[in-house]
Order: sequence, then structure tokens, then C-alpha cells
Amino acid sequence: MLNPNDVLISPDGSEHPESLLSRRQLLKRSSLGFGALALGDCLLRDGFVRASGEAGNSLSQNPLAVRPPHFGGTAKNVIFLFMQGGPSHVDTFDPKPALVKYDGKLLPEDLRDFDLAQINTADATMMASTAKFRRYGQSGMEISNLFKNVARHADDLAIIRSCYHDNFIHGPAITFMHSGTALLGHPTVGAWVVYGLGCESDSLPAYIAMTDRVFRNGPNMYTSGFLPAVYQGTYLKTEGAPIQNLSRPRQLAAREQRILMNQIRAWNERHLGERPDDSRLSARIQNYELAFRMQTAAPDLIDIAQESKSTRDLYGIDTEPTARFGRMCLLARRMVERGVRYVHLVSNGWDAHFGCKENHAKQSAKTDIPIAGLLTDLKARGLLESTLVVWAGEFGRTPIRQGNDGRDHHPYGFSSWMAGGGIRGGKTIGATDELGFHAIEDKVHVNDLHATLLSLLGLNHEQLTYFFEGRDFRLTDVGGDNNLAERLVL
Amino acid sequence: MQGTPIAALAIVVTLTSPALGGDQPVIHWSFQTPVRPAVPVPAELEHGDGVRNAIDAFVFAKLEEKRLTPAPLANRHTLVRRAYFDLLGLPPSPDQVKKFVEDSSDSAWLALIDELLESKHYGERWGRHWLDVTRYADTHGFESDISCPNAWRYRDYVVQSFNADKPYDQFVQEQIAGDEIWPDNLDLDPKQVWTLSDEKRRHLNARIATGLYTFGPEISESAMDARRQKYARLTDWVDTTSSAFLGLTMACARCHDHKFDPITQHEYFGLQAVFASSAPVKILVIHPMAYSEWLDSYPRITRAGEAVKSYKIFEQKIGGRELNEEEKARKQKLLANIGKLILELPVSSYTQQEELYDPLMGLPTATVLGHDRPELVKPVHRLERGELYSVKERIHPGLPHVLTEATGGDETLPETFGCRKKLALWMTRPDHPLTARVMVNRIWAWHFGHGIVSTPNDFGTRGQPPSHPELLDWLATEFVAQGWSVKALHRLILRSSTYQMSSRFVSHENSATDPTNRYLWRMNRRRLEAEALWDSVHTVAGTLNLKMGGRPVVPALADDEIAALREPWHWPVSADPAEHTRRGIYIMVRRNFRFPMFDVFDVPIASVSCPERNVTTVAPQALWGLNNRSVFRQAQEFAGRVVRKTGDDPDRFVDHAWKLALARAPTAREKSEALTLFHNFVNKAQEGAAVGPVAEPLENPPASLAALPGERAAALVKLCLGIYNLNEFLFID
Repeated sequence: MLNPNDVLISPDGSEHPESLLSRRQLLKRSSLGFGALALGDCLLRDGFVRASGEAGNSLSQNPLAVRPPHFGGTAKNVIFLFMQGGPSHVDTFDPKPALVKYDGKLLPEDLRDFDLAQINTADATMMASTAKFRRYGQSGMEISNLFKNVARHADDLAIIRSCYHDNFIHGPAITFMHSGTALLGHPTVGAWVVYGLGCESDSLPAYIAMTDRVFRNGPNMYTSGFLPAVYQGTYLKTEGAPIQNLSRPRQLAAREQRILMNQIRAWNERHLGERPDDSRLSARIQNYELAFRMQTAAPDLIDIAQESKSTRDLYGIDTEPTARFGRMCLLARRMVERGVRYVHLVSNGWDAHFGCKENHAKQSAKTDIPIAGLLTDLKARGLLESTLVVWAGEFGRTPIRQGNDGRDHHPYGFSSWMAGGGIRGGKTIGATDELGFHAIEDKVHVNDLHATLLSLLGLNHEQLTYFFEGRDFRLTDVGGDNNLAERLVL
Repeated sequence: MQGTPIAALAIVVTLTSPALGGDQPVIHWSFQTPVRPAVPVPAELEHGDGVRNAIDAFVFAKLEEKRLTPAPLANRHTLVRRAYFDLLGLPPSPDQVKKFVEDSSDSAWLALIDELLESKHYGERWGRHWLDVTRYADTHGFESDISCPNAWRYRDYVVQSFNADKPYDQFVQEQIAGDEIWPDNLDLDPKQVWTLSDEKRRHLNARIATGLYTFGPEISESAMDARRQKYARLTDWVDTTSSAFLGLTMACARCHDHKFDPITQHEYFGLQAVFASSAPVKILVIHPMAYSEWLDSYPRITRAGEAVKSYKIFEQKIGGRELNEEEKARKQKLLANIGKLILELPVSSYTQQEELYDPLMGLPTATVLGHDRPELVKPVHRLERGELYSVKERIHPGLPHVLTEATGGDETLPETFGCRKKLALWMTRPDHPLTARVMVNRIWAWHFGHGIVSTPNDFGTRGQPPSHPELLDWLATEFVAQGWSVKALHRLILRSSTYQMSSRFVSHENSATDPTNRYLWRMNRRRLEAEALWDSVHTVAGTLNLKMGGRPVVPALADDEIAALREPWHWPVSADPAEHTRRGIYIMVRRNFRFPMFDVFDVPIASVSCPERNVTTVAPQALWGLNNRSVFRQAQEFAGRVVRKTGDDPDRFVDHAWKLALARAPTAREKSEALTLFHNFVNKAQEGAAVGPVAEPLENPPASLAALPGERAAALVKLCLGIYNLNEFLFID
């Protein structure tokens, strides 16, 4: 240990021999020993440093370069529609006629052995669905009138009625749905996907998140966790201008900005060279390149005035209450069109502890038309084949009544659906018990759902790993065995 | 989930919790009073010669145990910049850097720490940290987002408390029960009518501290029934109290008992009962004699108010159409009359003019916690499943049993007045298992980037266990022994070698074992928080207005920034442009519209207590640095400031600019590159429109730039813009 007063300052301002490594030495080292570390991984990803390992100023660093999947996937992009708060499965995609018979009755003894957030199962009574289910499409799939517009796409949907996990509180449940674990600090699905496949757009972020009100868990819902920071989602506003500061100050001409940015980059790279294992610094260098290109690409992306009246109507953009979520869905299509890999949309307000019927009517009024419009539009443009659309909340809601007319959180059996991305629709996977409590047939854990999503993109969930704290981590933890991908594309 | 700490912890609890029939009940570590552990003997440690105080002894012992090598100490340039940002949130000036770097004496570092802790800007930096914990905002949020016009008094109270090194136990007591512990008011001492004693001032401040309970998130729609509103309020109060002071997340206990939750639902409502008789009240914060002056002036105040009304009526009549000459004259006259009448308001002998008559028709007040009239107080009942209408047994104020086991003592509390007092005094007992631990952990986390307990708001059974349990307990007991002095704790931390380690130390072996630097084998590099970045940009430009305190300020926004605001009048831009460059802590905090630059740089949503800020790295941050109009304007001011000092000799310019922004001189290579860049800009400008669109000239440049040839001035500005965008500017080693 040195005394602070003895510390030598070398002529170039660096502090100690470790930081005097040249980039060439650094690369040599990384190939020798720590290639698996964040640093090595980050630097050595395709194109991040030139294959020659040349030291100097032109890192053509691109950890976002497109990488081939592990095998031929059917999907290239994902639009994840996250229904924050937890939509009731028994009122939307999982009809339970038996509940009518049991309405108002106590729970059968053998069904009481689980925990809920706010309800004590011992004195709770059951509540029938107030929604009307009917069969749709050639497949005759049963969907409730809350999603009667989405239901027009029944033959494109694969409904999974046997989703489950065991987190009945919003915070951890949301984290579980996004990161495959209830622990904070892990990467979200979008970050894993971009880490696996890179991004096809060099002028827009690879991973974009939007919400119609808030992200309940904040940036943890689009974080890169322990993956390098460059895989983090970028959140766009949905009120006012989605991205601010897109136009250059008038006092700075385009060519001036370019030479300025080249110099900023050279200085930032030298700074990084002395701090090689900080992925935030390299991500920020990347961000400047991206920001530069976004100045042209993003105004085009967000200019939805380009869309025809009929397209706008499809999403309900000019009418309430669909305007906001409709705009998000339309932007999602425009993003996918432009090569954004993963789009995460959040709809707020599904947490119907009181007045479940009114709540869900309101929520479906906001989202049903936009989501149906999105599916129609993607299909019409030939994008649905390669774009996987996923719909899910962090859990479902209890078949039990809370208060007079509410439903509590319910993670033990709930529904989600997928469409597009090579899926052959009209399928129903799994089932809950007669009353909608527990997933019993073909159970699909959140890890299974994530494994399926990765497989459809051509990523093997067991091979998509990241070495951290002494071991390989993956999105699916130790789960993911019930991978539905093969069945979904048949 | 196998192998994760949570799963492991759950197992321990399952096996040992008495509620589950385990026969070996184990009390969770954080619910036991900390016992001062023995400090490891430096001589027995491998890196013992680097040990400067107990902190190092604990940290180095842990590093040795984990086979991690400590980093060498950082150089003096790094240390001085680190200390300034850490303690003040401001960059050091070139003179301040020089003074420290050139003083190689052992005492220089100690002197620097003392100097910074004495700065009044220290309280703004550390007060802002505390405001994150207490979910400070100037509005209540939700759809209507109504204002809390007095909340800033609490913010100023916090800043002053940190500056005064108010003992933390007193700081806690004042916020929870300032009104009950010091039940004083401004009633005059009959012997001293003309002055306000210091004691009374202190008591007033203690009451303002309880403002913490008055600016929480609150729905104020008329449809809200009063019971629901009171319940929502009590929920916020108990959640905030337990998160902020006890580091316990209690929200789950509201609904029912959970297996892993040590706090029962009954106890949760016992805490709600503590607050049941409390209610926000408005109090006057002026000297009673000043109040009588105000009453004396009331007709004049009314007259000024009427003049404003006349002008409004005139405006209405015009309805936005073009004015004719006569109307223009009338308008001038009406406006002049308002000004004249305001100026005629008498000067107060007791209170600052601005304070007394602004806003014109109101009186200076603070919103603090008081008590409902006893006949209006509704008793608290346990609510089954936390549902408002599932009323169960009556609950009396009480303390959580799991914690009073450690402190012993009386768990019963009075029903109304004095109840919060008892809670506050119990929380600040020296043997309280949580209060000191939670605060030292917060301070540690704000210095190092993460806490010894990495979940600073959750010391409960679902939180993370401490990385250095002995160190945490040693610090907690030392904190109490030092009279709960926060500044003493800062000194202890900053004097340690642990704090002074380099962040640039690269060790592959260390990274393999401990990639997140949980065990502190080096210093963590920190990205500036939103406010610190804002303050830095303006400090370097020489435009930071260091005025302290007062009403929140509202800087102007660009069109694309303001577009997200639902009601444009929610953002009443401060008339005085000097107010637009105040420190970030003073910018208005609206719950449903964050100041856009702060939003981009991860300022927390003030809905609940925020223990630790997120740090994201996304492209909109780069766009802000490159294109935001106010950044460009500050780059102009920055360049103008440098020119005033060095003239436009680019060589000297670059030297000084580097020192201002990065606290060091440029290297020879950097300097030559900067000069090339400068000449490139000049050349590009001279090439003119022949090769493409040209830049517009600078807008309102400072005089020193206006005196230069346009292309030289512009080139210097662009160079400064580049400096603002360096990673080195944003990250602190």
C-alpha cells in the first residue's frame, strides 16, 4: 500500500502501472486469462475491437453488431405487451364456466393451501366472471368480450393458459416476469435478446421501452443488469416528444458536429483505455455514435403523421381512450420496421382489487383496439411472420372475490399469449383446474415462457449465458425445460 | 432460485421461525442491538501497513479472507476531485486543485476534508441525498398534481441540518415529532416582545421538520372519500417512516401476516395508530410583530391586489386582439399602477420584504404536522386484507415487538398527543437495533456507491445480508458514541485508505472473484447524479447561482421538453433568469412531470422512499449533451469565461478550460488535438456555404466572445461543448 503523498503521477496523468497498459497489451491479457470476464466479453464481441487487435484510435467497437442465432429461429424481433398490475385470466383468456356454479361459495378445503397478497383463503368466496366468452376463428378458441378485437386474430394466437410462478407481490413478480428471477440486478429479457442477436438498426436503440404511465419497478424493467451497459433498454416518452434534443443547435453545422464527435470519441476512447473494465464508459461511447445517427433516424421514426388515416384508425390514435396505447403500438410497429430488436410496451392499471368488472372494461377499452390494430397492421405489412408479439401481466387474478367485486393477485395459474414470429396460431396450450386456481396441465413456468421466446428467436436458452461472479448465468436460471417453441411453430 | 441468497435465507427462516414450529428461534441479525466488535489488528494483516483507521482494518481483513488485493491509493488530482464531488457535489476550481496538489504535507488531506465539511454547500449535496429517502416533492402527484407551496421549507430545513451537523438522533426526533417534543410556538415572551429567541427559532425549525409528513403523494380528486384519503395518508406515513428511519419495508404487513415478515399485521396497524390523531396544519412562520405589520398594511395589500384585478379585467376585455394607441397607454398605466402600489408596501422591520408580501395576498406559512381535534380523531382498526371496509379489532398505538425485544422497555404509547414523541424517542435510543445501522449504511452507500447492506431500505428478513457485518456494527456503535455526528462519520470514512483507493486499478483475479466490487478492493467510479451534472455544467461556465434556499425555481424549457407537460401553467418559469441557474436541488420537483434533464439522468420518482438511485447509460443522455439548448448556452458562457481569463490564445485557452472542467492540465497530445480541432472549426467556418450548410452565428454571446472574430468565438464555444461531453467530465474516478 502506498502513501497518498508518495503516489507518482506519470507524465500522461495515469496513476499506476496497471493503467499504463496499451490496448494491445490489454487484448493480449484478455485472450490469456480473463476473456470470460465482463471486460473481455465486452471488448471481444464481434467487431468491438478489430480482429487484428490493433491499438489506437479506431475501435470499430460494436457489441450491437448482428450476430447469427444458435439455430434457425422463426422470429427476428419481439414486441412484448406487458399488462402491469395483472389482468384477470378468468375474465379474459381462460373461461371458467364452473365458477358460475360456485359463485359466492367458500373455497373447497383442498384449494386453500396457498398465499395471496391480500386475501385470506379460509373465508374467501368465489366469484364468477362477468365477461362473456365465445368462440372465435376457425380454431374456435374461447376468448372473452374484453378482447373481442384481439379475438379476431384468434387463428394467429397461441394462448398459454398454464403460466405460473410463486410471487404474489407486484414488485418481485414484475421482476420475475422481466428477468426470470425475483432478484434485482439481473438482465431483462430484452437485454438478453440483444446480447444474443445484436441489433439490425445502427441508428436506433436496439431495445426500447415505453409505458402509458409508469414503470412500476422503474429502470429495473429494462435494465441490462450485470450484462454490459450497452444492452440496456432506452425508454421513450409517450407524452409530448418521445425523444428530446434530436435537433442540433443552429450554431453547430452538421459537418462541425461530426468533427467534434470524432474528437470526443478519440478522447473518450483514450479515457476508456485507462479504465478498460468499466462497461458504462464503453456504452456511453456507443451511445454517442447512436445519438448522432438518431438525429436523422428518430424524427422519421416518431413522425406518425406519415401514416394514413386508415392506419391511424386501426390503432385508434385519434380517439379516446385508445389514443395513448394506440400510439405506442404504432410506434412499436415503426420500430420493428426499422430494425429495433426488442420493443417493450407497458399498459398500466390492471390491478383490480376493487370493481374488477369496471376496471377491466376500462383497461380493455384502452388496449384491445390498439393491440388488434397492431396485429392487423403487422400482418398486412408482412412483418408478423418475423415479429413475435407476446402479451402477459406479472400474474393473473384470483377466481376468489376480494371485497364486493374485486380480485386479488394470482400467480399460480394465469394466461398469456403469443402471436407471430413464426407461430402457427389457433393453439391453446395448458390448462388451469376447473376453477382457474392452479396450472395443472402442461405447466409453463416463467422460465419456460422465456426459454420459448428465446428459441423462437433461434437462441438456445441454455447456451445464452454470461459469466458473472464465478458462474454462468442465464435468463432461465435452472428452468426452461418445458420449451414450447417446437410445438408453437408446427 | 437454488443457490441464491434469498432462497438460502428463506430456508433459514423456515427452519427457525417460531411461527412455523421450528424449535430454535433465531432473531434476525438486524433486530439485535449491535455489539461493538473487536477491530482486527493491522499487524496481523497482509496489507496492514495501509491501515489508517478501523474501517481499513475491517475492509482489509475481509479482502484477505476473500483473497482480494487492495488497490493502491489514488493520486492527488483524483482525490481532490473525488472529495469535492462527494462532499459538495461541485467541481473544484483550478486554484482549489492547485492548493491541494501542491501541498504534500500529511495534513493537507485532513485540512481539505475539514474545509469541505465547513462549506455551506455541503448541506445542499447531502441534504439532497436525504430528500431521496424522504420522497421530497413540491406537488402531491396523481392526475391533478396539486402543489405543496411550503414543502421547500422542509428542504431548507434538511440542508441547514446537515450543515449544522445536527446530531442524527435529534434530526430523527424533529422529523417525526418536532411538534410534540418541542411543543412551543411563536407566542411572545412577555418580557421580550421585539425579538424572537434562538430557542423559539429552534422550536419552529423542529416543527418545520415534520413537514416530511405533508408533501407525500396524495390523491385529491373530489371523489375520494375522507376515510380512504386518511387511510392512504396513514399508509404513506408508516411506509415512509419505516423505510426512511428503520430501513424496513413494511408495506407487505398491511395486508396480512406473511411467513417471512417479522412485523405482524397487528403491529403494522399499531404504527398507523401512532399517527392517527395527526394531521397537517399550516402555521405562520413570521414574527408576531411582522404579522401585525402585515395586518397594518392590509389595506395597501388589498389595493395592490385590486390593481392586479383591474389589469386582468382589461386583458379580458381585449381578448388577445391587437391594441390601439389609447389601449396601449391604458395598459402601461395599469401595469405601472401595480408596480407603484407594490413598491409602496412598507418595509418590514422583522421579516424580509420578499418573504412577507410574496405571494401578494398570502402570508408566509409552513405546513407541518399537528393534531386533529380530539373529537375528530377516528380510532384505528385492523383491516382484514388491508381493505378499508373489512374492519376488525380496534388497534392502539404500539411498537413492533420484534424490535422492542432488543430495546426492552414499555411498548404502550399514549393515544394522541405525545404518541409520536414516544415513537421518536424509542427509535433514537442508543441501543436501538436499526436506527444507527441504517443511517451509517446510507452514508456509506452515498460515499461508495453501494451499501454494506446493499438494500438500504430493507434490513428485514428479505433484504440482503451485510457484506461486512462487523464493520457495520462497529460504525453504528461509533456513530452513536460520537453523538450521532454525521460529519464525524464523513471524516472517519474519508480518512480511511479504503476511501482513498484508486478506482483505476485493474485486477483480473479480483474481478473474477468479486466483479461488482462488493468487498471494496478498489474505489467505485461514480457517474454524476443529475443535480451534480447540472451544477457542474454551470459551475464550469461560471454561471452557477449559489444563492441558497427559498421557493423552488423553474428554469425555462425547450419546446420538445415542455411538450409532455399536461398543463403548461404547471411550469411557471422564474422571471429572473439568474434563478434559472441555481443548484439542481432548488429546481421544482413535480411528481407527475420531472425536470426533463433530471428525468434523463435518473432522478427518482418521488412516490416512495428511494434508497439508491439507478444509473442508466442510454442514448438520450448523449443527445442532451450534444444538442440541448441550455448546454450550448452554457458552453458559450464557459468559453466566454475562459477568454476573460486567457484571451483568445488557443493554447492558453485549452489549458485553462481543461483545468476548469477536469481539474487537471491537458496532456501534450490532448492539447495539440484540441488546437487542431479549434483550427478545424475556424477553417470550416471560413470555407463558408460553398461546401455545405453553415452554422448560424452565436446568439447573445458574452461580451468577451462578442469582441472576437465570429468564427474564432464560435470555434472556442464548440471546443467547450466537446469538453462537456467527455466521459471524464461525467464520471468521477
